[in-house]
Amino acid sequence: MTNDFDLDPTDTPNRIHQQCSGDAYAPELGVPPAGRGGHGGDRPNASEASENGELKTGTTTVGITTADGVVLATDMRASAGNLVASKQAEKILEVHPRAALTISGAVSAAQSLVRSLKAEVRLYEARRDEEMSMQALSTLTGNLLRSGAFFIVAPILGGVDSEGGHIYNIGPGGSVMEEEYFATGSGSPFALGVLEGAYDEEMSVEEARDAAARAVNSAIERDTASGNGMLLSVVTAEGVETEQYEHPTEAL
Amino acid sequence: MQQNQQQAYDRGITIFSPDGRLYQVEYAREAVKRGSASIGVRTDGGVALLADRRIRSSLMEPSSVEKLHKADDHIGIASAGHVADARQLIDFARRQAQVNRLRYEEPIGVEALTKEITDNIQQYTQVGGARPFGVALIVGGVENGDPRLYETDPSGVPTEWKSVAIGNEREAILEHLEENYRADADLDGAIDLALSALASAKEEALDAEGVLLSTIDADEGYRKRSDEEIASALSELDLDTDEEEEE
Repeated sequence: MTNDFDLDPTDTPNRIHQQCSGDAYAPELGVPPAGRGGHGGDRPNASEASENGELKTGTTTVGITTADGVVLATDMRASAGNLVASKQAEKILEVHPRAALTISGAVSAAQSLVRSLKAEVRLYEARRDEEMSMQALSTLTGNLLRSGAFFIVAPILGGVDSEGGHIYNIGPGGSVMEEEYFATGSGSPFALGVLEGAYDEEMSVEEARDAAARAVNSAIERDTASGNGMLLSVVTAEGVETEQYEHPTEAL
Repeated sequence: MQQNQQQAYDRGITIFSPDGRLYQVEYAREAVKRGSASIGVRTDGGVALLADRRIRSSLMEPSSVEKLHKADDHIGIASAGHVADARQLIDFARRQAQVNRLRYEEPIGVEALTKEITDNIQQYTQVGGARPFGVALIVGGVENGDPRLYETDPSGVPTEWKSVAIGNEREAILEHLEENYRADADLDGAIDLALSALASAKEEALDAEGVLLSTIDADEGYRKRSDEEIASALSELDLDTDEEEEE
């Protein structure tokens, strides 16, 4: 693998012989230096952190599939222990023209993961003149987390491809589970309670949007680590449309 | 043996000739001249990239002839010369464009990307055991809202142009571009100039299947033009095949 992140002055003369990458799982553009090897530094990696119960995710994120697209919703609070670290955290991030990721867990890891995904998606599109399928995008996301470079994130990936809408629950250790609806974060028990009652295979995008808003609103009411408004994204074949609500009830 | 020593500068790329030339690099430029032409036109409205597409047989799928390439959302590259060599440089450019976004979350500049490419090309004129790239590129794109246009050659020199041609009939096309270039034209003006410049250097009429056209502007970024769009531009300019003449 080429060391694209290293600004090593001795790098240039050997460029000629750096064309081939031996690691089938490695992303094309490499991973951030701190994550190389997965166990470097004094920070726990994803699987260790989740086993030890260290994976604290002060947030609520929700995803629902429908026939015509997917709906993603999150609160807007970033917490650090008892402190509200941000009141305007953007926890839905576009990674593909027709897919977005909700983030829960460490913000640093999530932002870095999103940067890597966006770069890989663009490179794939430029090389092949076609967009990455959701099968490819979810596998790539799982592989990146499995590498250990991006610890402590539990994202939901939602997107639309030629086969329709997909929601994936991506585990911090790299597991990829396709779901019809899902919630992650500290507020997820409250959100899932709402979704269990509200979800219907036949539901329209509009109905799913309403159910997602009610699910996140429940968590905002009852989970102290969730709050400060709501982000709602609708992903269809046309692209990703995100709306922001200062008061979560406005979305209902 | 003695004779071999005397002629070493003719074969080794890292060996200067007595008058200070690198013959292998000059031979690589000859390889570019044998390639079918590519043209780049930069105007205030954006950049048009045009490539002449040689269809050697009616059995060949025309879409498999790749001469225009998307490097990133805002940059396109046209090539002339060895196609296989071009592919290596294009992939290098695509990777560098995304590495820039990873590092800085900013689209790479056209000048910066061109110089990354030419620094890579230069290595192949100085490192033993390698051969120079037998290809020239036209790198066109938008940087901070402004259209930019560059050429790379096999020695690794980046040159910025208002309008440029590489490959076969370069001199004739450049002459047409010099006479007709207008900086204040819009994107359609850039397309028209590129098409008329190519037509001026070719004996037969142009048809949509025989050329490739892409544009880059601040609003839409890189956009590959369809055969229908090319056909209508050609007919407006009266450059397309005249059916009656053929019969």
